[in-house]
This record gives sequence, structure tokens and C-alpha cells, in this order.
Amino acid sequence: MAPHRIALLFNANKVYDRQVIAGIGHYLNSTRVEWDLFLEEDFRSRMRDIHQFKGDGVIADFDDPEAEEALRELHIPVVAVGGSYHDPADYPAGVPYIATDNARLVRLAYDHLIEQGLSRFALYAIPTTAGSRWAQEREHAFRSIVTTENVEGIVYEGSPTSAGGWGEAVEHLVEWLAGLPKPIGIIAVTDARARQLLQACVIGGIAVPEQVAIVGIDNDPMAQLLNRIPLTSVIQGAEEMGRTAAHVLHQMLRGMDCSSTRVIVPPVGINVQVSSRFQPMRSPHVMRASHYIRQYGCLGIKTEQVADYVGVSRTVLEEHFKRELKQTVHQAILKHKLDTACDLIVHGDTTLADIAIRCGFTSLQYMYAVFRREYDCTPRQYLETHRKTAET
Amino acid sequence: MPISEPTAWGQLPDGRPLHRWTLRNARGARIDISDLGATLLSWQAHDRQGVMGEVLLGHPDAAHYLAANAFMGGIVGRWANRIRRGRFTLDGIAYKVDRNDGGNHLHGGHDGFHARRWGVDRDGDALLLNLVSPEGDGGFPGEVRVQLRVALSDDGTLNLRYEATTDAPTPLSLTAHPYFNLNDRRPDIRDHVIRIDADEFFAADAEAIPTGRQHVSGTAFDFREAAPIGSRLHWPDPQLRLAGGFDHCYLPHGPVGGTPRVVAVVTEPSSGRRLTVETDRPGLQFYSGQKLAGQANREGHPYGAFAGFALEAEAFPDQVNMPEAEGAILRPGTTYHQTTRYRLDTL
Repeated sequence: MAPHRIALLFNANKVYDRQVIAGIGHYLNSTRVEWDLFLEEDFRSRMRDIHQFKGDGVIADFDDPEAEEALRELHIPVVAVGGSYHDPADYPAGVPYIATDNARLVRLAYDHLIEQGLSRFALYAIPTTAGSRWAQEREHAFRSIVTTENVEGIVYEGSPTSAGGWGEAVEHLVEWLAGLPKPIGIIAVTDARARQLLQACVIGGIAVPEQVAIVGIDNDPMAQLLNRIPLTSVIQGAEEMGRTAAHVLHQMLRGMDCSSTRVIVPPVGINVQVSSRFQPMRSPHVMRASHYIRQYGCLGIKTEQVADYVGVSRTVLEEHFKRELKQTVHQAILKHKLDTACDLIVHGDTTLADIAIRCGFTSLQYMYAVFRREYDCTPRQYLETHRKTAET
Repeated sequence: MPISEPTAWGQLPDGRPLHRWTLRNARGARIDISDLGATLLSWQAHDRQGVMGEVLLGHPDAAHYLAANAFMGGIVGRWANRIRRGRFTLDGIAYKVDRNDGGNHLHGGHDGFHARRWGVDRDGDALLLNLVSPEGDGGFPGEVRVQLRVALSDDGTLNLRYEATTDAPTPLSLTAHPYFNLNDRRPDIRDHVIRIDADEFFAADAEAIPTGRQHVSGTAFDFREAAPIGSRLHWPDPQLRLAGGFDHCYLPHGPVGGTPRVVAVVTEPSSGRRLTVETDRPGLQFYSGQKLAGQANREGHPYGAFAGFALEAEAFPDQVNMPEAEGAILRPGTTYHQTTRYRLDTL
């Protein structure tokens, strides 16, 4: 029997869509199911051409506003993938629907910020368009949480992202951030939006996470690369959505009626990084200094430069550090370098020599000496023990 | 002192007093255990933020444990899980044991190990719990002596080591039956993400008796890649519909009876807690707690469905009626050994 020909209609330029497709791949690899998969060569979907498709089934991104209309007349099994809706009437009728649980994504981010000790919250959303219904659902989820829990919750939709309007958009974002009561925890509807927040905080001299703690959604490695301050982000169950969609289509190709199947997939984790590790601080000097160290700590800065940035003398800054953090400015810089190095050692495939340079240890030998002194082991031993724990 | 002195904890219907002990580790985790059924009453462990919280379901008091039928936290014996119609044949003799689950035997019968008062000794940092199960207990042959060693290590591992001997051949399959909810701020475990290292499970009939081995691939039972429990419950799957969720025995990879291997890992995204299960047993029953609705919680209020999940390391259900029956028989002169570990840490 010839393999079924299946079209995957996704704009796979985002990590979320790619993970959904990866999940479909996992399902096929774990079974003996052979599908002849059709994807556009540039991984972008062209809904309007789909009526010409001579195949057996479709898995499509229903966040795309054209999908429902374009696939209605197609007389082959279709499985919809998209965002969840708070109003059941918003789901397309008669099509199995595999959703990311928008309410749960926001809830996980919110609970995380609550646990950090924050009591004021904001959401950085996206202006309403036909293609951003998922973002409106996240906004709705946020509003209903803060209303139910009776806490302060501010929503800012900002501007649509465009090259021409970028400068102005950033200015408005900085302005909005500056005007917010602090400290505050902000949830961004995606990591792409969270990245804009981090950038605006740097421009506006707002300390992350001391004044503004930030959580994104997607755990997108690309957004991570572009930030100096590592971003906390909620991990969607996108691969599981792909596995689920493939399973449902597989059953439909065998003749099962799945038209009323609806599977809402919750998030599978949260990658906790510096951007949300809020610790209440009393001294504004320490706050500003910590913010500076977090951005430039690995670039060979000295106590002098930190004091200059904060605008106080070295002695005053040292006094504040002693009182609040029980350590010197130099120790705080060293700790930042070590934390960054440890993180790279455990989670990346960067060589130790590169890590030494990237973290501002003038040489590999010096990094070895510091590890020996602080952890009583070599970076290599640290890697071996911690990678093992991370894998089990 | 890692183990507390015993404190009074209710009594049996015949008036004999019951007690509870507390095990602590260097990181502040604590486990409460009772001599009633060697029951794990409570496990307090820290979350991602270092905040302590309860991870086990539990009833308010001893009277509730005696009256309920959820086997909550108890040690189950002589036979963990089900025996079809309560019947099996051993060395040519047909036996009929207690039928307490529809027409089938479940978890030791009317008065299983979970409802007995165990003897308790200390052995350094561990508790030793002892039980003598008399000839004819629940309908099973032979007098069985069981010893369970319970220890909580500093890395958060609850180590359960069982030993048992008998004076006549008998089926024996012991298991711990804790129900976990790794986030005590949520009323159910649907958002927990589970991985089970098994290629096969036993499909079951409407009475949860195995009908045959089935490969997990292409089914809702494939947890070789971690997946949320809650969304899997909505996969169109006849086995899930029949049981109202997961109540199935997996056959984890790796050798049986040797060094315990990791068989399952469960994470809870919000608290960051992670549970790792290791065992030397051949079977791992995964129960998603669909029938927990109405069981009393510690405040005496009813739990909802899916309030907790159980991962029970044991022999196969109804193994005494399978070709593998002999693997589940304990004979005089030999010793039953089992090691199962539950480890809690954070991501």
C-alpha cells in the first residue's frame, strides 16, 4: 500500500511550529506509520493553494485565520492545531482540535512570579489582529486571573512590530515601563515580546529583575541568544501537540470519527533564569549595581566602573554591598562570572577554554584556580557531576 | 536525630494503640509513617523555591484509613493488584482467595497488609517494619514473615527494601501505594508530566484484568518521551475509555531482580518538583487516580477525581494465572527481595 500523503500546513519559522512538526516526526518514528509528508520548501504555509492538494490528510495551524475557510471544502481528514479558547464556541466545528492551553501558560508564568514574592503584575500583549487570537486569549487569561485574585494587573498591548515604527515603539515601551509601579512582574505573551521588554529595560536603565521581573512564553533559543540577561520562559507542550495531532490523524485514516476530539495540552515546564529571580532589595545603589554587573560582569569590569555607573564612591557602594549582600562588589562580580560559567558548562557544548574567555576569566588557568578555590573541584569535574545529574 | 520518637496516632477497632514516626533528612525533608499498614502518611519536600510542601495524599486519621478503600500510602500484600476471580493453581492445588473487587481479588483481600498493625524497630537511620501473615491469610497458603526497611536519604530518596520468607509455597507481590500530587496548590495531577521507560504494557478488560501485552508505540500509553498526563486522557483510545484513565501495568526496560533501574520520572512544572521511581520489580502499575473522587482528604473534605497518581512497583497483575506465574511464587528456603526507591528533587 502506498504511504498516505499528508500535508503539514505550518509557518515553521517559529520555534513553536517547529516543535509541533518535531512531535509529528517523533510519532512517525515511534510507529511503523509511513507518511509521504508535504511541506512547503521554505516551511511557510500557503493556505490558498491547498484545494489543489491531492492527498489523504492535513494537519494545519488553525491560528492562521485563513485555515478554517481554506480547508472547509477539503474532503479528506483534517486535524487542527492552534491555541485554546476560553469560549467553547470559538473552536471550529466538526474538526478535531489540538490546542496549547493558553490559560495554563499564563497561569504558570503568573504562579512563578507570585512565588518570587511579587504582588503587582503586568502583561505585555500584542495589538489585536486576525492572526493573533492566541495572544488575545493569553490577555483574557491574565485579566481573569488578576480579577479573580484581586491583585493589581496592568495590560499593555504596545505597537505592532514593524521596521519603520520600531524607534517609536521602543520609546513608548520605555515610557510605559518607567511609569509602572515597582517592583513588578511582567508576563510577555511570547519570548519575542519579552526580548523587547528586556531591551527597553536596558535602554531605560530599569533593573531586571529587581525592579521588573520578566517571564516569556516559548523558551525560544533565538530570543535567548539576543539577550544579555537570560530570560525565564514557559515551555509549551508543542511536541506533545504534534504527537497528539499525528495520532488523531492516524486514527482518522483508519476510519475512526474524531470530529469531536479536542485535546488541550498544558505547558511542560518553565525554564527559570535570571530575568525573574526577583529578590527584594532595599538599597537602590545595590539594585543599580547588580543590574550593571548582570549586563557587563563577564566583560572584565572592576569595582571602579560599577561605582561610576551607580554614581557613588567606591567606599559608599562597598558599604551598601556589605550590608545588603554580605559581600564585596568584587565578590559579586566574581560570583556572576562563576554562575555564568557553571551554566554554560552544564547546558552548552562550549569548550572550557571558550567559556573561560566568555565569562571574563583572563585565561583557562585562572578559571581552574577560581573553581578549585570556590568549589574544590576542576571545571571538568564540575561538568561531569552536574551533567550526570541533569541527565538522570 | 533522623527518626523521631513514636507519637500516639489512634487505635485499631480492638483497642490496640497505633503510632506514627517521623523520618528527617539533612535538607529538611520529612516523611511520616505509621505502624498501621506501614502507611506513608505524609512527605514534606521543598519546591524549586525551597518552600516545603506536602506531596502525598492522605486521610485525616487512623479511623479513616481503616474505613477507606483507596489503600492510600499503605504497603499492599500479599498480592498487589488483581487476581482474576480470586483463583489460581499452585503445585496442582486450586486456591480461592478473597474476592473484594467485583468478583476479583485486589491488594490482599478484605484485610490486607495495609490494614494491619506492623511491628516497628529502629536500625540506625532506618525504620524496620515487621509483619507476620498467618497461614490462610486472605485465603493464601503458608505463614509469611515480611520485613520492610524504610530510610530517607539526604538526596531525597525514600528507600524501601523488602524481605520475606514463607513456610509453604505462596504467591507474593508487595508494593507501596502512595498517591502523589507534587504540587499541593493544585487540586489534581493533570498538569504533571510523566515519562515511563517501557515499550510494553498490559491491555486490560473492563475489570482491569490483563488481556495481553501490547506495544506502546502509536498509543496514548507511549510515555517514552515525557508527556502531560491530563492531555493524554483525551486521546481517542478504547483502553483509556474502559478504565476512565490510566490504570495499567507497564513492563519497564531492564533486568528484573538485580540493581533497581529507573522506571519512571514525573515532573510538575509549577513547583519544579521531580519524582524518580527506581525498582527491581518486573511491573509498574500507573494509576491516574480517576476513582479518587469522594475519598476524604486530610481535612476530611472529599478529594476530586485525578487528585493524585500512583506508581506501584510490583509483579504483573494476575501473574499467577500467566505463563510467568512461577516468577511470583515464594517457596520455603528462599527469600523474597525487593528494592523500590522514590526520589524527590527539583528541576
